[in-house]
Amino acid sequence: MSRFRFRRIDPHTLAGAYALDALGEADRVRFERHLSGCPSCDQEARGLREATARLADALVTQPPEGMRERVMAAAVRTRQNPPVSRPDRAAWPARVAKPARGWWPGRRWGIVIAAGVLAIAVAFGGLAFHTQQQLNQERDRSRAIGAVLNAPDATMMTVAATTRGTVTIVMSHRARALVFTSARLPPLPSSQRYELWLMGRTGPRAAGMLPQPRAGMTAPVIVSGLRSGDMVAVSAEPASGASQPTSRMVMKVVLPS
Amino acid sequence: MTDGQPSLPASGQETGGQQARSPGAGEPGSGGRAGDQSGGDLGALLGQVARGDENAFGVVYGQVCGHVFGVARSVLRDPAQAEEVAQEVLLEVWRDAARFDAGRGTAMTWVMTLAHRRAVDRVRSEQAAADREQRAARADVAYDVVAETVAARLDAERVRRCLGALTDLQQESITLAYYRGCTYREVAGLLKVPVGTVKTRMRDGLIRLRDCLGVD
Repeated sequence: MSRFRFRRIDPHTLAGAYALDALGEADRVRFERHLSGCPSCDQEARGLREATARLADALVTQPPEGMRERVMAAAVRTRQNPPVSRPDRAAWPARVAKPARGWWPGRRWGIVIAAGVLAIAVAFGGLAFHTQQQLNQERDRSRAIGAVLNAPDATMMTVAATTRGTVTIVMSHRARALVFTSARLPPLPSSQRYELWLMGRTGPRAAGMLPQPRAGMTAPVIVSGLRSGDMVAVSAEPASGASQPTSRMVMKVVLPS
Repeated sequence: MTDGQPSLPASGQETGGQQARSPGAGEPGSGGRAGDQSGGDLGALLGQVARGDENAFGVVYGQVCGHVFGVARSVLRDPAQAEEVAQEVLLEVWRDAARFDAGRGTAMTWVMTLAHRRAVDRVRSEQAAADREQRAARADVAYDVVAETVAARLDAERVRRCLGALTDLQQESITLAYYRGCTYREVAGLLKVPVGTVKTRMRDGLIRLRDCLGVD
């Protein structure tokens, strides 16, 4: 019995494996949580990380022809991220941040793919407009979306729904708004639609309906009136919309403060 | 995964590299342990990069590209995939330069941490390990050039010497994890030792390595 408890309360022995990126996902998350509350462990982990990085000295290899040009060309086209406002002590360089799994910027493909998802979703969303009024509305909406995407404090995150599929959110406190899009959420009967909610101290506030998906993806929805401490949630509701959620949330995201 | 044959990163590989051009030749501190001798430089350069300075990014590229590609190549084996990952990492350096925090480690360590994580992420997301092995076998034949500057070779020698001073199990655990991207559980399986032992050897091995290399 004590073995299990010992493992749980003494993750110190993982410091080496952590520095070597040799932990599985669960162990890594647990160890980073431990680091954030243990300055001496954090100090040790840093020292081991420095030593680990030196192992690369034995590997120096000339990159393939043309890589420099490709990288430089890509850089010119790539928007740079602002400094992290809330440094993640444990994970450096910044990895997946705390509140919900799958926060960007983090592992893997990061913002590049999420931005691609948004671009595709915008393209799909753009097909459905006919009248001048609709076009004007669409232009305003695009402007509002652009304001969030280009805000200096824009943060992007992707979260898995409890059912199936993912949602991608770009939020800006400065713009007090977020852009929401989803991919591969389970289809609903025609009498129902997904509804967005902002959940704050005063309870849930209806934040709009998700449009019908095309090719599994929903066009971006702009949600404004964001307050600090809000969570974003989604539930399946009658197609006409509900003023209060009537079913279980299929996903909830804690927004970074 | 070759069964328990970590070996230090191919001494033969370097000698096969002939007099190839060094990565980023002609740039200050190229290939060398830029993170130490000119750690301030690389850190300062990242500061310029964070402000969108493309020239500074070019210099950073020259200082780190050989390391980044080397790590990706070691872990992934396949040169095409290694290049993809290396490009992602370098672009990430551009994008996230403002997030480098000198208070948390040297600039070189920051870059190398990104590089190793991305390479390892890629390896672990690969479904078919056998497929990887096959490609690796092909890659080793096709791939030839390994370039090093004198400074880089000295650094490499020092790393090898320090690795050589470890116990076999420490050395194997560390090299399998770092150079091949194995998890500690995989290492335990390959070496047929308990996972607890591997964890411990990784840690005490790295502590010895740190002391040997004179890292703070």
